[in-house]
Amino acid sequence: MERQHNSVVRTPLNSVVVQRRSKSKSYRQSYRSCLGAASRLGLTPALTARRLNTSRRAPKSHNITDKVDPEQLTLLLKTEWKLSYVTPLYQFRHTQLKSYSRQLSAFIAAEKQQGLAVDAEGSQSSFRVSFSVVQGMTETADDAETVLIQIHSKPMFAKQDDPQKLVWSGWLACINGNPDYLSSLSKDFICLPLFGSSGPEVLTTLVKSWFQQMFDCCFGPLEISHTSLQWLVALWTNCHTESNIQHLRMIWTLPVTPPLQITYTVDAQDAWELWSSVRKDPEEESEGGEEVEEGGSIDLKEVMRFMQGLKNHFYRHFRLDLSAGSLQQVSTALGSAKYSGRIKVSSDGKNCSQSFSQDTFLLTHTRKDKCCTNIFFLSF
Amino acid sequence: MFAEENKWTTKHISELEMIYVIDNPNQGMWHAFQLMDPEDDAHSVELTQFKEQFKSHLSELIRHVSVKIKKHTDEAVWIRIAWGDSYSRPNHLKPTYVVHYLQTPYVFVTSLTSKQKPLLSQALVLSTRHHAIKDANLSGKKFTAIRDLLMRQYQQAFPTKYPSPLKEKNQTVSNPLIEREQAGPAANRLQMACEAFGDGMLPQLQSAVYKLETKFRDQTNKTMTEREESFRCVVKFASTNLLESLRDCASSGIASTPVTPLLSSIPLKGRNYFVITDNSPGPSSQMHQKTDG
Repeated sequence: MERQHNSVVRTPLNSVVVQRRSKSKSYRQSYRSCLGAASRLGLTPALTARRLNTSRRAPKSHNITDKVDPEQLTLLLKTEWKLSYVTPLYQFRHTQLKSYSRQLSAFIAAEKQQGLAVDAEGSQSSFRVSFSVVQGMTETADDAETVLIQIHSKPMFAKQDDPQKLVWSGWLACINGNPDYLSSLSKDFICLPLFGSSGPEVLTTLVKSWFQQMFDCCFGPLEISHTSLQWLVALWTNCHTESNIQHLRMIWTLPVTPPLQITYTVDAQDAWELWSSVRKDPEEESEGGEEVEEGGSIDLKEVMRFMQGLKNHFYRHFRLDLSAGSLQQVSTALGSAKYSGRIKVSSDGKNCSQSFSQDTFLLTHTRKDKCCTNIFFLSF
Repeated sequence: MFAEENKWTTKHISELEMIYVIDNPNQGMWHAFQLMDPEDDAHSVELTQFKEQFKSHLSELIRHVSVKIKKHTDEAVWIRIAWGDSYSRPNHLKPTYVVHYLQTPYVFVTSLTSKQKPLLSQALVLSTRHHAIKDANLSGKKFTAIRDLLMRQYQQAFPTKYPSPLKEKNQTVSNPLIEREQAGPAANRLQMACEAFGDGMLPQLQSAVYKLETKFRDQTNKTMTEREESFRCVVKFASTNLLESLRDCASSGIASTPVTPLLSSIPLKGRNYFVITDNSPGPSSQMHQKTDG
């Protein structure tokens, strides 16, 4: 991540200020867009509190394979992706992907020439890069189509039909982007703010460098905040009736010496029953109870009650308060998410059309700039 | 001649391997067992008798088997078993190692398959003059840690009154008034933490697993509290030194003191696998342990 301490005023609250190099007429706009922040739904006052989502729509189950090519979808599933945020790309064109493939290949080859060790096998292989579009992942009309980047290693003296090994893959996406923000960008910019990578770190760095050079953008780390992880605990449990989550697993760490890791795995059905029990308003229970609206909205209060229930059960046995620790990871059969910004979306693999119907993923990317609160809701 | 040479080489190699394993026991996965229901003469079984009996019983149970027994300096009897079957010679590449402390009920085993388990159990039970052997529900990578835990060979803190207030290890500079006020409770917590887990260096246990099959009880949640079925979950604690972590939890106040019997049972009972159920009718404030067969 680039952080330049110059005459630009340092903004507080985990913001990253980066000086833009291009001096186009949209400088001011692009400068603002650079004020990124590592995603933290922290307890910051007024500015962000307003934007904290206290309720979300429960994800509708829909058949993703109606929209997205199943073959392409399998490339995205069952892989753990390391997430980063990206500022808008200047003059990135979906029509230029072939050219980008060639240019990135050349870039990697040039770096290798300069002695950068890019692969373990030595100089036996070169790399073939391919950019492609994964159509159908967008949610709104303003979302740009997802771009998938794959790097295959090409053995130097291989024959034509020797299989190439996929050594690195990554993608750029914009799903459910904030329409106000998107329309505020100048036409020269494409917003694909979410970047996922999987593979050797050295290739990730090269790809990022190339993007930064080509499209004048910046990358920054994306963490999945505790609140987001807690949302996932609830949202994934909520999916259980439609798609068996098999188990609800949470990993906490406690700040003791030496550090203690607690893995708390709850039976799927029992988790679901606890979840549905907190969805009824406890004060209204005495009035005969309300019917929980199917597919209605989920309130943050319900999520917190669910988490508190889980923690209370734990405390009753171990007299240990999990609130003293930090939630690091959530996983179910539908996927996993880690505080460090790694996500995996899984499927039960049986039948393409069935398995992807209810995998949902939530990422919250808050920015210092008031205008651009983007909630990316990835529905697989 | 060639066959004899080969046999000698195998013997030599397995001898060296055994010496190596005895000196470096903290590898692989060790499981503890406990011998039950001793005969009257169980306490007087001594080394020569045990060696003879064990080899003879095991050979009766399985045709091709290679057994090597060594007594180590600390009273431990080490057994190396290379298993064969009716048709093949003993496989020296996957030996089982067993450690038994004579005249105690404790046995520690590594690299044992489920097929081999009943044979080993039978041979052990007969040669030590007991009637049964059971799983001690204690396992770990470090042999020395689980041995020390099970056989209580580490410094334990007994509940006594300390002559002066205990000092915390890392003293941070803070308000003297707060310090004075907190000194009492802090000392109290530390005392209880040490009583529960031990003082000084603790055996390096890496994990503990609790399978909870208890009902969900929460005053704020009527629906779940009225539920008949248990709330099934599994909790795993992991650390490079679990007992030290737990002790730190208690002394820092993260875990409420007095320490719950679920956690203090780890050093007290020398086990790290528990199945917890509600045994008493109606709401219970204390959990009852169910010992695994």
